[in-house]
Amino acid sequence: MSFFDKMEEPIMVIGEKLNNNTILKILRDAFMLAFPLTIFGSITLVIANLPFLDKLLGAERLAILQNMLNPASAVTMSIATVFIVLGIGYYFSKDQKVDALFGAAVALAAFLVLTPLEVITENEEVVSNVFSIDRLGAKSMFVGMFVAFFSAALYCKFVKKNFVIKMPASVPPAVSKSFAALIPAILTLTIFLIVRIIFTFTPWGNIHDFVFQIVQAPLTSLGKGIIPTIIAIFAIQLLWFFGLHEQIIVNSVLDPIWNTLSLENIDAYRAGEMLPNIVTKQFMESFTVSLGGTGMTLVVLIIILTMMKSKQLRGVGKLAAPAGIFNVNEPCIFGLPIVLNPTIAIPWILAPMVSTLVAYLAMATGIVPLTTGVSVPWTVPVFISDILATNSIRGGLLQLVQMAIVGIIWFPFLKTWDKSILKEEAAEQTE
Amino acid sequence: MKILLACSSGMSTSLLVNKMKEAAQEQSVEAEIWAVGQAEVETEMPKADVVLFGPQMRFLKTKFAGKSKELNVPLDVIPPVSYGRCDGKAVLKMAMDMIANK
Repeated sequence: MSFFDKMEEPIMVIGEKLNNNTILKILRDAFMLAFPLTIFGSITLVIANLPFLDKLLGAERLAILQNMLNPASAVTMSIATVFIVLGIGYYFSKDQKVDALFGAAVALAAFLVLTPLEVITENEEVVSNVFSIDRLGAKSMFVGMFVAFFSAALYCKFVKKNFVIKMPASVPPAVSKSFAALIPAILTLTIFLIVRIIFTFTPWGNIHDFVFQIVQAPLTSLGKGIIPTIIAIFAIQLLWFFGLHEQIIVNSVLDPIWNTLSLENIDAYRAGEMLPNIVTKQFMESFTVSLGGTGMTLVVLIIILTMMKSKQLRGVGKLAAPAGIFNVNEPCIFGLPIVLNPTIAIPWILAPMVSTLVAYLAMATGIVPLTTGVSVPWTVPVFISDILATNSIRGGLLQLVQMAIVGIIWFPFLKTWDKSILKEEAAEQTE
Repeated sequence: MKILLACSSGMSTSLLVNKMKEAAQEQSVEAEIWAVGQAEVETEMPKADVVLFGPQMRFLKTKFAGKSKELNVPLDVIPPVSYGRCDGKAVLKMAMDMIANK
């Protein structure tokens, strides 16, 4: 058994555990629920902030346009936690085979029960009976996730314990369903109301600020550091080297953190403030995946098609290039192959780490603007994706620099490999 | 014959779907072939005669093994080489063999 075979098994086991873990799966599906909505908000934000609009319309008319488009992003991205809470409540109940729509409603109610119902204005006036929009977005992402899971779990438990009022068969199903939800919903929400009351006696005043300070702020500040980010890239590349999809660690474990960082940026962007985070979901997608797929392989295909001579490499290059432009690179990963191929393990793992570091530094030094938090689907091709993600041509140019770096790291390895394949191909022909 | 392919989001397997459809047409085999993401496998599986996973999601095989037995829908992982080369012919043959041995 070779070294790689020995490594493969434990990695498979970890991958299987993470991928098939129910909680992570529910979280993944819940984030997918918010995705179309945030794309809608993103499109309106991109339109409202097109670089030439102020010259075309004049400042006054631009302000009117922005005001007209503003609600679209306010009710999607700025309150994204609401959709995540609904999604968790729904998918958790569905997994437990309990009526999912009621589970979602109970989770949302539990979250709102814990949300402060007043806003303090700049003049220190207290306005009651309002939810502040920032309590429903990035700032409350983690408290939202916890509450949604706990409330859905309690609700399902109460339903299964048969704390329900059964109706005779002649009662319409919609009526009997809402009666079935009655006692479990009352019990669940009572518990969360008590939690709210308890927190008013603590220094935080509410559970939102407690979870934000104790859990969310430390986790997100850890997640946006360059070292954890590079470690994540390393893990992604290593998983793919064994032919395993990275989403088992990325989309499930790190997405909540990266998405929260994105939402913080979008809030700042909408308010016209300085963007707080370099590492965001868009940074991880546009500045890594959008360079031809995981591992930034578009430039590798370009080098193969322009400079390599062996039939084997060129054949795969031609096959993989069209999908590669849209950042789907499984043909490249399994076709070249990259999987379990020691010849190119070094550039495969190293190049994305170096290139991501360069992107980070370019932003940290202010050469390239940060990602605005606008959602850009990962299938958008290189150059365009980062102009959209940063609302600046410099974002696109940075991608081209990154491609050059990846190309330089890969080139010597590709050249050596190409030569050895050429030799084999020549030997086959003379035979 | 109904062949279901699955990967993480159904994106890269859809490349293979087209190649398999071409291969089926050439051999005048009547086949319905489609690709889904891992979240939809459970609901799509009863409609299929055979399920094939992309190699990058091969840990799904153990997850769905029980369901496969229950529904009598055989499942397997597409060999990495056929997957990378988008070898529609080879994967179609694999699916047909699996159905024949059911």
